[in-house]
Amino acid sequence: MLLIMTFLIFLGMELTPGDAVSFMAGPEAMANISQAQLEALRESLGLNDPFFIRYINWLGGVLSGNFGYSLTSGVPIKDIVFSRIPATLELSVAALIISTLLGTLLGLVSAVKRGHSADRIFTVVGMIGVSIPEFFLGLVALLTFSIHFGWFPIGGRLRPEYTAYWHHLKNLVLPALVLGVSMTAGVMRYTRSSMLDTINKDYIKTARSKGLPEWRINLLHGFRVALTPVIVLIGFRLPMLIGGSVVIEQIFQWPGIGNEFLGAVRSQNYPLVMMIALFSVFAVLIASFLIDLLTAALDPRVQLD
Amino acid sequence: MDRILEAENTKTFRKKYGSRSTRKFIKNKLSILGFALFSLILLSSLFAPLLTSYDPLSINLKEILQEPSSSHWFGTDKLGRDVFSRVLYGGRVSILVGFGSALGAALIGVLIGTYGGYKGGLLDKLFMRISEIFMSFPQIILVLLLVSIVGQSMKNLIFIFIATGWGSIYRMTRARMLSIREEEYIQALKAFGIHPLIICYKHMLPNALGPIMVNITLSTAMFILQEAALSFLGLGVPLQIATWGNILNAANDLNVLQSYWWLWLPVGVIISLFVLGINFIGDGLRDATDPTQQG
Repeated sequence: MLLIMTFLIFLGMELTPGDAVSFMAGPEAMANISQAQLEALRESLGLNDPFFIRYINWLGGVLSGNFGYSLTSGVPIKDIVFSRIPATLELSVAALIISTLLGTLLGLVSAVKRGHSADRIFTVVGMIGVSIPEFFLGLVALLTFSIHFGWFPIGGRLRPEYTAYWHHLKNLVLPALVLGVSMTAGVMRYTRSSMLDTINKDYIKTARSKGLPEWRINLLHGFRVALTPVIVLIGFRLPMLIGGSVVIEQIFQWPGIGNEFLGAVRSQNYPLVMMIALFSVFAVLIASFLIDLLTAALDPRVQLD
Repeated sequence: MDRILEAENTKTFRKKYGSRSTRKFIKNKLSILGFALFSLILLSSLFAPLLTSYDPLSINLKEILQEPSSSHWFGTDKLGRDVFSRVLYGGRVSILVGFGSALGAALIGVLIGTYGGYKGGLLDKLFMRISEIFMSFPQIILVLLLVSIVGQSMKNLIFIFIATGWGSIYRMTRARMLSIREEEYIQALKAFGIHPLIICYKHMLPNALGPIMVNITLSTAMFILQEAALSFLGLGVPLQIATWGNILNAANDLNVLQSYWWLWLPVGVIISLFVLGINFIGDGLRDATDPTQQG
């Protein structure tokens, strides 16, 4: 699967206009170099080799850590990507934690209090959360909490006055909350329905007839079993986190990979675009694999193949 | 038994209107609210020329950045264009892109999924692999990738949305087909020797239409949100054409965010209300067509 992805990414790179040589020199220099010299350069760089050989070369480069160079700045892509990943990782993990905790809790309460006012309010709020465009929510949040009330810094991640590690956490709050909101709604719904399914099962009735207190039944027996499909859902939503970070990072000027990707697309910096895409696919595939492992560990009925 | 005969004779047996699904839908209050919101905004956009006399593209530098007033209901933007008419006309494009992409994705997904789910075999496995590949990409990243390769335009955007969106409808249709395939009437049709294509599209497909319609409505909502996000970033529909996302593009500037709220706040609220309406409708449809729920 990963191999197919690398092939597609390479194909994409080939489809974009221009090749490495035409990007190497500025327009004035290009006008002065003769065609023969350009051809010789191409030959030496191995650009005239058949498609497959170039793919193998490129793949070898990627595997050994050479990701090519950014077109606009000439900085090795590896440095760009690795310097930006921690920021995006922070944001994604924070949003994941927030949405999982909040979503499962609200879903649990919704299911237990089914039909009552709490359930209805949560459901409607959940639907509103899914309908509001993420970036709009981000803009409104930025306006009210950062600019109007001044509770949080306006954007960015680091400032010169931040010395300890935890100083920049207050920059993280708003972006993580906004990114987590739409995922919370989905998790909440799913937890609710999964919990409702579990509560109606026979073993819950047995536990109740044994005389166990209701809260114990709900939490220990019902919730734990209901959690398994929710974890699968979260695994499926991971691509959404990576994608959502693109917009959120733009609004809050968070220096992560999403923002970098956006800049690369805007300046038609194709090598960087393709590399970041490859990385995100890689992240998604690894995450799905980990989720599969986790599900197998949690649910004794599932077997790994 | 006598009472049944009596009811039949006096024709009180027949329900008053529509099929069971329609009645369930109408009884659901949230669905009606959603339908009302949806229709209100849709009709305002469609009948835009009747509601506003301003041309959304006409630049009037004498009237830039005016606050909402009785002559300009949503105020004017940086180039003096009336924001209200831009919102209305922009709605046309946004809804077109959203609904068109959802329909296109559904068309492709359903066509392939129906036959693939019924037949199985190599072709089905191939398409499953292809859809898996598409779905491993985070959607925005795939969309942006394709935008950087093929360029920005409204038609390109619809194609890109269809290409990234057909996978989920395909999988859902295929799953439904897998379960319908085992039903007895399908076995009977097969025994009669009816051609597989006719079995697929004439007999199996109508039974799967419920979830497909729900999927189309929810996909429309998703695509409208995506178009808005892309245009907000400046990478969706080109900036000359007014769409809801394009209007929000102005809010990228912190200055606009603070001082000129009418440029972006009304549009955002309208998008949210419209998508909310669609979501309510989709939920209502799902509850109405789900046979496991009591009528």
